[in-house]
Amino acid sequence: MAEQTNLQIQETEKQEVEQSAAEPTRTGYIFVPRTDIYETDEAIHVVCDMPGVRPDGADITLEQNMLSVSGHVEPTWPEGYSLNYAEYRIGDYERRFTLNTEVNEEAIEAKLNNGVLHITLPKMRPTRHKIAIQAAG
Amino acid sequence: MSLMNRLPWRREREERTESREEPTSIDLFRDMNRMFDEFFTRGFGLSPLWSEEGWASFSPSIDVVETDDAIRVSAELPGLEEKDIELRLDNNMLTIRGEKKHEHEERDAHTYRTERTYGAFQRTVALPTEVKAEDAEAVYRNGVLTITLPKSGDVVSKKIKVKHG
Repeated sequence: MAEQTNLQIQETEKQEVEQSAAEPTRTGYIFVPRTDIYETDEAIHVVCDMPGVRPDGADITLEQNMLSVSGHVEPTWPEGYSLNYAEYRIGDYERRFTLNTEVNEEAIEAKLNNGVLHITLPKMRPTRHKIAIQAAG
Repeated sequence: MSLMNRLPWRREREERTESREEPTSIDLFRDMNRMFDEFFTRGFGLSPLWSEEGWASFSPSIDVVETDDAIRVSAELPGLEEKDIELRLDNNMLTIRGEKKHEHEERDAHTYRTERTYGAFQRTVALPTEVKAEDAEAVYRNGVLTITLPKSGDVVSKKIKVKHG
């Protein structure tokens, strides 16, 4: 039961990126996007929840085997507002993943739709061939 | 307390964020909303009647903002479609309900991480003032639902200018 309660809290709150001890050079919050990662025979799929990021507001880079994902959110507050009740904070998203499978960098695809970023990383075709050993006789 | 927190500029920043949550009316409002939500999701500590992966799994975060002539409610709902969202306004209570569907079914593959949540949800927010329900507008863009509810005529606040005497 206690575990379930923890889960509930975790679900409603966005997790902030841990700040290093260095003085931040930017203002504003940076959050870790909630992510699903799954692998099929052909590709690795990375799906990140980034509510508020426009379809062209995300940056994805792959360097060596490090996949970096970031998304920028433009806050849209009405003029002369006062905050009544706030549960979520607005900020950018940032996360890095280490890939341990060779991916075809040329064929990576990414789509951002309704605040969900879906990255498809096609796997490299295996270059090794299995050689069957024939029984001597 | 870490060394960084002792530094004066750090401390100032922290104090600022705390003061934002100071007014007690907001606390009351928040508590009230929590109560509604706890009732709907957990029924005050009782185990939910509905399935575990149902209402209890996905619950959107909500912000309520007030301007001179309108109330704006926004909710983070990544990965939905307009048709999946249902809005109701009864007695100044705004209910947002819908379902976040599982979009990838190729689950026979290896799953490494599942942090995103799915399922049906319902949230009810008490609005701070009377609103004109017929003029309410809702827009779903980039995974964020924004509902603008114009205040009804007699509650529109007017700015009073302070004159130099």
